[in-house]
Amino acid sequence: MNKNSNNNDSELIEKVKNGNEGAFNFLMNKYYPRVYASLLSFTKSREDSEDIAQQTFLKVWQQISTFRGDSAFFTWVYRIAINLAKNYVASSSYKKQRMNTSIEDGEIEIRSYEDSELNLIHEESMKDIQNFINTLPESLKTAFSLREHDGLSYEEISKITETPIGTVRSRIFRAREAVVDFISTELKSYE
Amino acid sequence: MSDIKERLSALYDGELDSRDVDSVLEELEADKNLQKTLSLYSLIGLSFANESKVTDMDKFKAKKNKNIFANIWVTNSLTAAASIILTLFIINYADLSRMNISIDSTNKIASAVNSREAKEIVANSDQFLVDHIMNVINDPSFMNSNPIDLRNVGYTSSGGQNIGYSRGNEKFKLRIENKNFGLKKIRYWKHGNKMIYVVPISNGRVVTLYGNISAASAIEIANSINQ
Repeated sequence: MNKNSNNNDSELIEKVKNGNEGAFNFLMNKYYPRVYASLLSFTKSREDSEDIAQQTFLKVWQQISTFRGDSAFFTWVYRIAINLAKNYVASSSYKKQRMNTSIEDGEIEIRSYEDSELNLIHEESMKDIQNFINTLPESLKTAFSLREHDGLSYEEISKITETPIGTVRSRIFRAREAVVDFISTELKSYE
Repeated sequence: MSDIKERLSALYDGELDSRDVDSVLEELEADKNLQKTLSLYSLIGLSFANESKVTDMDKFKAKKNKNIFANIWVTNSLTAAASIILTLFIINYADLSRMNISIDSTNKIASAVNSREAKEIVANSDQFLVDHIMNVINDPSFMNSNPIDLRNVGYTSSGGQNIGYSRGNEKFKLRIENKNFGLKKIRYWKHGNKMIYVVPISNGRVVTLYGNISAASAIEIANSINQ
């Protein structure tokens, strides 16, 4: 992710603090892959990584009121995940502490990821995506790269490319959609 | 449709006009395809984020069968545990496919979020104790402390700043905390060929022993400090 994306979550965070489940789901979908991937590298266990990632976002939901915005939101989430992962490493009773998932009515729906959507995160697909992005029209490629690689804001991209912010937004969206279409039509064949 | 997706893209980037945020969230809640799109945006972002961390990808020969192959290097930034966990791992296809949470699992997670049990899990987290153990393992100076006379139980101390204690084959360092981490029983960990004991003693304190030492000796020492 990038600096601006992290910094500009504040509006959604405020909504989560006010109990907005949609905003929570959005943020969770946005950051779950990074949290999971980090935990997987730490625990080496898929099951434990899932457990800890779920506990991480459970804590995020429960403790969001304590987030003051001193750091980027993801940094705060990451810190929670790290602490839980440390707990996992050091505590022999960790497995006994796994979340009980068979209880009571829910108030939060946590979205899931599709297997097929995850298949793109591997070496060949990464290369394919990069190759595909290189085939995009220069204007789309530039805006998208400045956003995804360099983490620049729309305003910064607007100044660099000397185009209106609305055009920047449109170009990034069109580039993103092109990659999504590419994944859907080409990389699905990897399954 | 493209308009909502463009707004979703802008929201993903944190660039959507505040007046439009609620409407996008509402449409997102109701539209599974839109949710899928968001997931893809996120995963593409992850791919880009990891791109700079990809190391010597070309050293890994691409497998012909794409069904069974997937590799990505992920840097482990959790350096606190670096001595006991490898810092680099390959996440393979099977691992990543596990990122999927089934609908059933999702619903169960949802059910658990505000449950009493879940809150107890959070409340009982012993992260402070874990941080303590991580310091013991990773900070060479952490176990340096004021000398304690253990001659009554047969241990002699080495001099200097780096104080250690020994008796026969047993060699260890010792540290006393004025907090007990909520411990009521002895906790211990094995780190390499060394042991870490955290033993609650009187006045809400704990004694931490780190080195080549048996549990019986650790208890004996803790009891002697208690006296």
